[in-house]
Formats: sequence, structure tokens, C-alpha cells
Amino acid sequence: MVRYNLIQIPVIRTLLTNRWPQLIIRAFALGGFLLAILAGFVGTPVGSRNFAIIIVWIAWWALLIMVAVPLFGRGWCNICPIPMPGEWLQNGSVLRPLENKTGRGLKLRWPNKFRNIWLQNVAFTAIALFSIVILTQPHITGMVLLALILFAVAISFIFERRTFCRYLCPVGGFIGLYSQVSPIEVRVRDTSVCTDHKDKTCFTGNEDGFGCPWGIFPGGMVKNTNCGTCMECLRTCPYDNIAVNLRPPGTDLLQQRGRKLDEAFKAFIMLGSAVVYSVVLIGPWGALKSAAFAVGSFAWWGYAMSFLAFVYVLLPGIFYLAVRYISQNAPGKRKPLRMFTEYAYALVPLGLAAWIAFSLSFVFTNVSYLWPVLSDPFSWGWNLFGAANSSWTPYFSKYIPAVQVVILIVGLFWSITVIQRISGESTLSEHKPWRPWPVIAFSAFVTSGLLWLLVG
Amino acid sequence: MASRRIRVEWIARMIVLVLVLGLSSMAFASRWLNRSRGIDVHARMPESGGWSPDVLNVDVGEPLILRMISDDVVHGFAVGQSSQPPIDVMPGKVAEVSLTFDNPGTYTFYCTRWCGPNHWRMRGTIEVNGALEIPGTTDPPLYLTLGIDLDSPHEVPVDLVRRPSAKRSAALDFDIPEDYLTRDYYLSHSPYEAWRDLRNESSISQFTDGDIWDLVAWLWASNTTSEAISTGEELYAQNCAACHGETGNGNGVFARLVEDDTPADSSSPDFGHEIVAPTDFTDPPQMMGAAPALLHGKILRGGMGTGMPSWGQIFTKDQIWAIVDYLWTFQFQMEVKP
Amino acid sequence: MPASVRPISLDVSIMKQKQTRKKITKIFRRQYWFWSLIGVVSLGIAFVPIPSTFSQPVEKTLRVEASTFEFTPAVLSVNRGDLVSIELNSKDVVHGLYLDGYDIQITAQPGQIAILKFVADTRGTFRFRCSVSCGALHPFMIGKLKVGPDLLLMRGVGMVVLAVLTGVWSSRLWSAIT
Repeated sequence: MVRYNLIQIPVIRTLLTNRWPQLIIRAFALGGFLLAILAGFVGTPVGSRNFAIIIVWIAWWALLIMVAVPLFGRGWCNICPIPMPGEWLQNGSVLRPLENKTGRGLKLRWPNKFRNIWLQNVAFTAIALFSIVILTQPHITGMVLLALILFAVAISFIFERRTFCRYLCPVGGFIGLYSQVSPIEVRVRDTSVCTDHKDKTCFTGNEDGFGCPWGIFPGGMVKNTNCGTCMECLRTCPYDNIAVNLRPPGTDLLQQRGRKLDEAFKAFIMLGSAVVYSVVLIGPWGALKSAAFAVGSFAWWGYAMSFLAFVYVLLPGIFYLAVRYISQNAPGKRKPLRMFTEYAYALVPLGLAAWIAFSLSFVFTNVSYLWPVLSDPFSWGWNLFGAANSSWTPYFSKYIPAVQVVILIVGLFWSITVIQRISGESTLSEHKPWRPWPVIAFSAFVTSGLLWLLVG
Repeated sequence: MASRRIRVEWIARMIVLVLVLGLSSMAFASRWLNRSRGIDVHARMPESGGWSPDVLNVDVGEPLILRMISDDVVHGFAVGQSSQPPIDVMPGKVAEVSLTFDNPGTYTFYCTRWCGPNHWRMRGTIEVNGALEIPGTTDPPLYLTLGIDLDSPHEVPVDLVRRPSAKRSAALDFDIPEDYLTRDYYLSHSPYEAWRDLRNESSISQFTDGDIWDLVAWLWASNTTSEAISTGEELYAQNCAACHGETGNGNGVFARLVEDDTPADSSSPDFGHEIVAPTDFTDPPQMMGAAPALLHGKILRGGMGTGMPSWGQIFTKDQIWAIVDYLWTFQFQMEVKP
Repeated sequence: MPASVRPISLDVSIMKQKQTRKKITKIFRRQYWFWSLIGVVSLGIAFVPIPSTFSQPVEKTLRVEASTFEFTPAVLSVNRGDLVSIELNSKDVVHGLYLDGYDIQITAQPGQIAILKFVADTRGTFRFRCSVSCGALHPFMIGKLKVGPDLLLMRGVGMVVLAVLTGVWSSRLWSAIT
């Protein structure tokens, strides 16, 4: 168990436990978010010149999928503005807990039936189906963002803590799963300290901080999936027992506890939609793009049905057949569905690599839109930074394909090592490296397909 | 301790309020403060509304400040028959222009970048209000004074083996009679009529039909200049080629859209109008039967009920003549050795 | 916390870490040759120059129609060294064509064909995009130009095979680390 506790470094400890940097960044993010909603509604209808489109789908998305998730897991959730107004109202304060202030809201417990990520899977699929319209139409982006924040605030009035973030947010669904590859984790240093601690203030809160907004008991946390890295537990633990560890990337993927079918399907939704986007958005087939854009038309229904069939039926179906073959020929009786769930976690590095490679197809090409958009966010003739008239310039177009190849290969290699480990978990006898070859072949084929779509 | 906490909490809330609301309210405040400076003009494809607003008002001598922005594709802005150079109106980018008019009247502004098949319909008007209304004298269009019917068919029987060339005519040692060299003759006669008249001249009965066509080409070339032709070429490429084709054969990118069959039922807005294909300038029977004044009139007035726009408000007289001069190059080889 | 009061589990975990570190170094030393081999092979797949089949460079004229929101045809093929003229014919609004990798572009208005002339001296598959905002799907108006065989794809597939083999053979190493 190779771990290095970053809290040992005084600067990091101060940065993470002090509430002011976090609050300033959160408020700034909320301001930018509201500005994006406004720009979506009153700014220019031209997507490539609208602040909302460029800030959200180019700048934020690129930083999220290429930096925040691979390095910091659910780090974005720490500063995300969507739950902020609701959380402040729930807590009755924006900074520390105040005495005699329990805040507003019914604080109901989220029902057991929905304590999984299926709703988030559906939410993400819905956004994915309409994505080409959302990504290119500013007022639609504005509506989606507004709907998210209003919904989150409404949920805060009814349910406890960050129910929206944990069970409803479409972004949270996939960055929760992908946070398992992060090299950073928040864990307790010594579980026996927790056993002896009666009050468990990391969960219930005290005068130094709020109880975990994510409803997690840090003492029992073994995976990053639901931890929003908000650092409340760091502030409330009286024994200094919370550590922010640097650890080998992908450790959580090998954690056998807590592997569930909803997360397994999420892996397919993500991998499948990366493939579909590579075909529709990055491919040269204009008819597909028009079909994906003409929502409600016959062509769009064809596109939607194909999308759903590929992501929910074809991809997991083939994977299931591969897994079933392994289970039939392997010693030790394990149910195929259980193996399906376990092996699906091996697709996480590949899915993340696929999304990063796909994002590279348009991020650096279009990041030059950021300069005029910051200079003139609403297209009212401003020129705040002098760049309002700068024109589109693609960056690095010569090098992007090679980088995409490297990322996909790294993702594939990583997935295969995880496949090996998962395969090794199930056999009591000597592990044969080629036993999970159907799943390895599946990953190799998907990678080759993505290579052809993105650079071929 | 608790009161200190509450104080800190209020400071935190103020900071949050400033950062969250400050950014957005600053934006709207500055827009409200700047609202008197200029008029926002949005450009959209004609199918989506065209120019909005499409009627502008200004007093004579006062600057009209326009902030133009396109809401969809690349458009352009120019004022008809003015020296104001055209400005590109880009999607999402504001282009500011200040116009001052010395004379009252109605000016037409129009889109200068092809933005779809209805691009030529994308026009608006600027009403310039002046204290003194000087009654202007407008000359009636040339085709009216010459009595040319723009809409009657003018197909002529010509059978050209080769393209008439002005250069080749220099080899023929012949002085064309004075009558043919006047501007009036050129304007009112089609090339076929000129050819026929020359054919009937007894002094050149020894020339072949082709030779006489070369003379006609020389005659046509002498009524224009190379500057005019190159100006016409530019104007043609920017404004005419999209329908009439780069090679003048009537098969431009929007040609299909104006050559549908005549609609059958009265519910269609085009019922009663004959929709024809854009003219093929490379077709001798058509072009050789058209007098320059007819071409000039067609461009000025537009084609009644066809897709041909009227350019009278947009082009100056010189510009229309330049285009006419260029159109003849589809039929004649007009370079003359100096 | 003083050592006497420290729980035993902490001591054990520290010892375990030391043992693991020793084991990893031992395995690394043993498999040093394995990883060097993999490194060399991967560099080879990535960088070994693949000679091109010689074909006489010709002048190629490719007519591309641009409409909202696609290029027709969207996939173009030329050989290395060809003098390529791409004639861009815009069918409805002002479109552009920017070629990745070569970093060149043209803009075409309806009625005026724009020509992009260049020598296709670099092999590979290059995407070209519309470079003038032409409506909603403008950022996704994409085609591709193939210059000779797609070497990057070939190398990529080679790396896929290498990754599969390496992933399988190195499985023993990873079990020690986590």
C-alpha cells in the first residue's frame, strides 16, 4: 500500500483546511455560471462566439476531462457552483457552521430504491442524445444550466445534504466512476481511531465544520466514487485522522468491494458515447450530423435509437458474451453477471482515454474562440482584453493525432493490466494471463476502432 | 466568539454576493449606460428575418452609428450608390460603422455576401431627413426612352462557327461608317442588328459572315474600356455568378432554386409568375439579340416575376454599364491590340 | 503520538510498506531487460521510417462542394508529392476550408470558386474543417484528406498489439505494487 499523505506538507494543509480559498473559488465559479446562463439567453445565437458555449463546452469541459478528473478525481465537485446556493441555504451559512442555525430544508433521506446511479445514467444519456443541439445552441445551453441549478436548489430544500450531486447530477455520475483512476484520495489514516470515536463528527459535523455533505462515513470509505473532496472531514476530525493521499493511479479499480451493476453500465455508457461522438461529431458523414441535430424528425429518431442500442445493448451485450465465455471455461463457478460487473471496471481507463482523445479533436482546434469570447462575452461590441476581433486559429493541429494515439494506447494498456488483476482475483489456482482474452480482445477492438475514427 | 463568527460570516456573504452578482450586473449596467450610442442592427439570413431593423432614420449631415452583428452566417453591409466601402458582418462579431449623408432621400442598404438563395432580397432602407427637399430630376431609364421592351423574347437566328474577335478584325482593312460609331447606335442596337446592317452595306460584300461578326466585336469593344470590363468582372463575380454561374452559363449554385416548374395551384405565392432559369450568357441566339440598353434595363429593373433582382438602387450607373461591358465578353473576344 | 500509545496496526502497515518496496525493486531489477525491450520495440513502432511506395507525383484537382454542414466528397485521397488543387465550391453560404497539419486555408463565396494549391509532401490523414462560421453545426463540418497510406494508424495498431502483449506479460509486476 504505497501512500503519501500530502497533508504533511504545511502549505497544502493550510490551503485545504482554510475555508477562504475554497469559498472565493466557489463564488467565482457561481458568478461565471450565472454569466454563462445570461450569455446563453441574451448573447449572440452564434455558438462559436457565445460565452456560454465556449466557456462550458470548450474551456470547462477540457479542464474537467483532461486535468480535473484524471488528477483530482471528483475535485471539480469541490468547487462546482450548481449545488452551492442550495447548500448555503441548507447550512444557514456560507462559511462556518453558526450556532443555533440549522438552515432551511426538510432534510429527508433519499429513498433506498434510488440509492444508486441509475438516475444519473438516464440523465447523462438524455443529455448525450441531445448533445449536438446543446453544444451548438446558446439558448439551449442556457436552459440546461438553468434547469440544473434550479433543480439542485429545489432538491436541497427537500432532501438532505448533497443528494443532487450524489444521485441525480449527470456530471457526477461519470466523474464519480472515473475518479477511481485518480492518484489522489481522501481516507482515514487509522481505522481503529474511528472505532473508538463515539461521535463520528466527520459524519455528523461539529462547530468546526459540517458533516460530510456526501453522506459518507470516511472511516469506511474505500473508493473515491462518492467523495467530492470538499475537505469538511479534514476540518471536523478531532484526531487529525484524515489524510489526503497520493497513491498509484487506478487503485480503486482493483478494490473488490462496492462493484455494482449501475456503475458497470456507466462504464459502457461512457465508452459507447465516446465512440458514437467520434463517429457523428468528428467523422466526415454530414448526414449523421444533420440527423443528430434535427431533433424530433424521423432521421433523429433513427439516430437516437441507434445510439441507445449501441450504448445499452450492443456494447454491453458483446462484452457479456465475452465474459460468459471466460466464466464457462474458467475453474470456479462464478455467475456471468457478477463477472460482467467486475470486468466492466477495467473499461474505466479506456473510457477516460477515449474521452480525452475525442476531446482533443476539438479542444485545441477551437480554444482560440476563448479570446474573443472573454473580450466580448455578449457580443455587444466590447473589447475588454483587446481580443474581440481575433479570428479562429487552430492550435497544434499537426501534433494532436499523435497525442491521441498515445493517450488511447496508454488507456488500453492500463485497462489490460486491470483486466489481469480482476482475472487474478477470481481464480484460486495459478493465474493464466491469457484466460481473459475475450475481454482483452474487446478492449483492443474498441481501441482500434477509436484510432480509426479519430486519426484514420 | 459567536458574534465574531457571525461578523466573519457576513463578510463572507458580502464577498460571495459581489463575486456572484457583481459580474453579471456590471455587464447589464454598462449596456444600459451605453444604449444611446448607436443602433444595433442584426443580420440574419432572409429566411430568418433579414436585417432587423430594416428601416433606419437619420438627419442629413448627422452621423448614423450602426453596430452590426450577424446572428447566423457571414453577411456584408453596403449602401447602394454610395462611396461607402462594403463591410463584412461576421457571426457573433460586432462591426461598427458611422454613416453621414449629405443629401436627404431614401437610400438602400444591402447584404454583400451570399447568404443563401434569397441573399439578394436582403435589403433595407435608410430615410435621410433633410430640411430642404430639393426636387431631384431623375432621368427615365434608357430602355424606356429607347422604347425597348425588356420582356419580349429576343432570340435571333445566329450560327457562329467561332467566337467573334475584335483583334481579328484589325486584319480586315475596313473603316466602319460613321453612323455605326455613335454611342446611340451601340446602345439601341443588338449585335445581330448591327451585323445585319453591316451585312447589307454594299462596300463590304466581299467579307464573310464571320469577318463581319469580328467587326461587330470590334464595334462593341470600342464602346468599352479594359478598366470597365475588369470592374464588371469583379461585380459579376460577387453578385451575379451565384445564379448565372462563374462561366456565365446560367448554372450557378442557386440556379436550381430558381428554375422550378410553374406552380400549378393558386395557393402558392409564385402562382402566375413564370420562374425561369437564370440567363445563359454564353448562348449566342439569346445574347446576340439583346441590345446593350436591354441588358442595362434588365439589370436596373430586374426581371418581373423571375428571380432576377432589381439593382437600380444598389449599383451606380457606371457600375451597371461595367457589368454590361463584362457580359459581352462571354460572346466576344474584346481585347484590341493597341 | 508517542510510540507506546501508537496502535499496533500503524507499525504493521509501516513494516508492510518497507517489505513491499524491497519486493518491487527486486522485481524491477529482474524485469529490467523486459521493460527495456518493450521500450525499444515501442520506439521502433513509433519512429521507424516506413519507406513510401514511389509513385510519380501528378497534378490533382479535387472539386469539393461545401454546404451546410458537410463537404462533398468528404474523404479525399492523393499520393505523396502530388501537386494538389482543391477547388472549393460553396453551395449556400460563405464557407472555408482549413487543412490540419498543413495549416493552410481558403474561403469560398457562393458563385466564386476558391482554389487551394499545395504540394502534399507529408504523408498521413489530415482532417479539414470549415473555417468560416456558417451556422449551428459549423464546428463539426469536417472532412479528411488522405496523403498516401495512413502511417499513424498503422503505427497505432502496432502499438495496440504491443500494448496487449505487454499488458498480459507484465501482469505479475503489478500485483506486487498495490
